[in-house]
Amino acid sequence: MLSFVFYFFAACTLIGALLVALCPKLVHSAFSLVLTLFGIAGLYFTLGADFLGIVQIVVYVGGITILFLYGVMLTPRDSTRWSILGLLLPGALCAVPIGVMLHLAWKGLEEVGDFGQVPALSPPTTQRVGELFLLRDKYLIPFELASIVLLVALVGSVYLARRRRES
Amino acid sequence: MSISHYVFISTALFVLGVFTMVARRNAIYVLMGAELIVNAAALNFVAFWRHKGAEMTQMSGQMFTIFIIILAAAEAAVALGIILQIYHHFPNIDVTGPKSLSQ
Repeated sequence: MLSFVFYFFAACTLIGALLVALCPKLVHSAFSLVLTLFGIAGLYFTLGADFLGIVQIVVYVGGITILFLYGVMLTPRDSTRWSILGLLLPGALCAVPIGVMLHLAWKGLEEVGDFGQVPALSPPTTQRVGELFLLRDKYLIPFELASIVLLVALVGSVYLARRRRES
Repeated sequence: MSISHYVFISTALFVLGVFTMVARRNAIYVLMGAELIVNAAALNFVAFWRHKGAEMTQMSGQMFTIFIIILAAAEAAVALGIILQIYHHFPNIDVTGPKSLSQ
């Protein structure tokens, strides 16, 4: 059952990422990004990080993709006409790292060997995450700093995207 | 599912993100490639946290990935603001276009 769910979400993620990379129209790529992010959220669930999966859906799918769609709406329409050279040259540039990285990943994981007993999943993790953020004081300062970063980004992006007055 | 499966997916996502950043001319595609790359790294974090075994109750992978998501959201917002400002000054948002800010 778990492997079926894993393969389903892995297929969603990889097909979505392929469509983002290859679709000629900008809007299609933006919607394929939604599919990819949903697939990644599903993979987080299969890994037992259920709070993280919900955060991914709410923040990434619900926030960042809306932001991207606004960006697509406010900028000129764009369609890429793929040429053989335009496709093969970056593809070859990326195929070399993929070969190297896959080789290193497989070989390295074999060398590290057994990770030991993989413990059983124990959802829900929300209470433990909340404790770590606020009660155990382990992640309290990063939590506050992250909210300051978000405030600065909010003010900054509103200022950056303002409409100029013709004066 | 062993960890190799998740590492394979994150590698594929990373490479597709790099391809999107390199092979496209629109600045918004560059941002989408950056999002794919960040998600690949985050997936790696969670996969290694899950398969480490001994310290799963410390939730370290999950916490770090929450911070990654927060910072990627802030980065996307600021980057889109910059793109909109560039569009005010230049006729399109082609990344191969403007070669100087004062053009």
